[in-house]
Amino acid sequence: MIEQLLTPFHYEYMVKAIVVSSLIGAVCACLSCFITLKGWSLMGDALSHAIVPGVSLAYLAGLPFALGAFVSGILASLCMGFVKSRTRIREDAVIGIVFTTFFAAGLLLISIFPSNMNLKTIVFGNILGIADADILQMLIIAAITMTVLLLKWKDLLLYSFDPNQAKAIGLNAATLHFTLLALLAATAVAALQTVGACLVVGMLVTPGATAYLLTDRFGRMMIIATIMGATTAFLGAYASYFLNGSTGGCIVVLQTALFLLALFFAPKHGIVASRLKARSSATALSLQLPNRLQVSSEVA
Amino acid sequence: MINRLLEPLQYGFMIEALLIAALVGSVCALLSCYLVLKGWSLMGDAVSHAVLPGIVLAYIVGAPLALGAFLAGLVCAGGTGWIKMNSRIKEDTVMGIVFTGLFGLGLVMFTKVQTDIHLNHILFGSLLGIERHDMIQAVVTGVIVLGTLLALRKDLLLFCFDPSQARAIGLNTTVLHYVLLSLLSAAIVAALQAVGIILTVAMLITPGCIAYLLSDRFDRMLVIAVASAVFSAVVGTYISFFINGATGACIVLTQSMVFVLVMIFAPKHGLLASRGRRTKLPVVSGQGR
Repeated sequence: MIEQLLTPFHYEYMVKAIVVSSLIGAVCACLSCFITLKGWSLMGDALSHAIVPGVSLAYLAGLPFALGAFVSGILASLCMGFVKSRTRIREDAVIGIVFTTFFAAGLLLISIFPSNMNLKTIVFGNILGIADADILQMLIIAAITMTVLLLKWKDLLLYSFDPNQAKAIGLNAATLHFTLLALLAATAVAALQTVGACLVVGMLVTPGATAYLLTDRFGRMMIIATIMGATTAFLGAYASYFLNGSTGGCIVVLQTALFLLALFFAPKHGIVASRLKARSSATALSLQLPNRLQVSSEVA
Repeated sequence: MINRLLEPLQYGFMIEALLIAALVGSVCALLSCYLVLKGWSLMGDAVSHAVLPGIVLAYIVGAPLALGAFLAGLVCAGGTGWIKMNSRIKEDTVMGIVFTGLFGLGLVMFTKVQTDIHLNHILFGSLLGIERHDMIQAVVTGVIVLGTLLALRKDLLLFCFDPSQARAIGLNTTVLHYVLLSLLSAAIVAALQAVGIILTVAMLITPGCIAYLLSDRFDRMLVIAVASAVFSAVVGTYISFFINGATGACIVLTQSMVFVLVMIFAPKHGLLASRGRRTKLPVVSGQGR
């Protein structure tokens, strides 16, 4: 029994996949706290699709895929900013137009120049077959992202909560905006390899939102989210060995399950807790009312 | 030369592809005008991903795939609304959580079930190799959506522009809300098997935006959106024949190209027009920004 549970650890590729997934899960989760506060969830989705043409061009040119992906993500976010500031179209529609255009360009490139890069790898990730060079790229991305987050987390936090206040105390809002975008693009690149383009946004949103339901303090929120991100990625990658496939699907489904648990049973902000609170305040009110009436009648 | 250009039209599959692309494109384009006004552009993205588990479940049970997809789409839209009402999390975040959860579930189920559904076709479409029953499904669903949209045109418009006004004159906004969501799911189902998830998202956003830049009147917006969608569908399919590239991608890119042109040259809301205005009236444009 135990022997069987340990089999995934006998394979080097499984160990690699589990370790790398957990690391990426932790980094994404850390960033997700800022993303959920800032309301950039769909930006994460858009960037994860927009990096595809960069990936395919980088493969064609023989460059590191992370570089191409990152450049393409930044380019997409610049396009969004430009179109949004110059036309009367709403932001969500602009995001939609730009990312579908980029993604379509990537698809077209892949269909015209078939390379050894598989479409499935991009859309679903391929953590089980990840090459050592790609692992190195992901480690670098993770290290940079974590360093920037740890050094700048107070500034970024203030910017996410209240950009005006950040500006008022003399922080450079434009730099912070760009920093957060760059971090988002970088982690999207890393997560692409683990869970694939369609599920990146799950890794970048769900842990933060779950932690937000569990605590009111940002420090704790980051800790909860990071632990959750790493644990779900670990368990998801592990479970995918037994389920025989779709590592990304397993990780994201686990995260969603935890989110649903928190949604219902979170001690303070959960649905059950707030229903109970509403009921107890209602009964308290109905208990109090007759007493008050008595008091008032005695006074009378 | 002309012979070479007419070559695609000699093939039956090309004509079928052109017709289906144009039909699906116009249905989505009509809907996109409402979605752009309502600010629901990314709802299309979420719902279109969320249909995957519905398709796999329908396959297991043996029900029509379109039915499963439609129900899963409703679960996504309904679940998003419910969670948003009952928690303190922002709507876009909830949307991200719900649709990735459903898509992930769909992927896991997909790997566990032996199916003859091609995941690639669902994701990227296979317009040139579309099968007869998928085509009939797309046409029937498309016509239903079209009919409902035309019948409820005015009510839906008021609901998108100004829900409180709609409520004040006695329209049932809850029903309209769900009608619009159901239309969205149905349009996605119609488009999905023909053109794929990614293209569907683009078709539900871009034509509406193109029209919104060109016109201030809703009736004209509808006409322009449909015209641009049909144009890009035909041109995109046509180009894909010659360069031998992904059809869906070609259609989306043609649409985006039209959008860029409109963004620059639109008579009133284009970049050039507003730049001309700005040089004339620097004060006003300064306030505007």
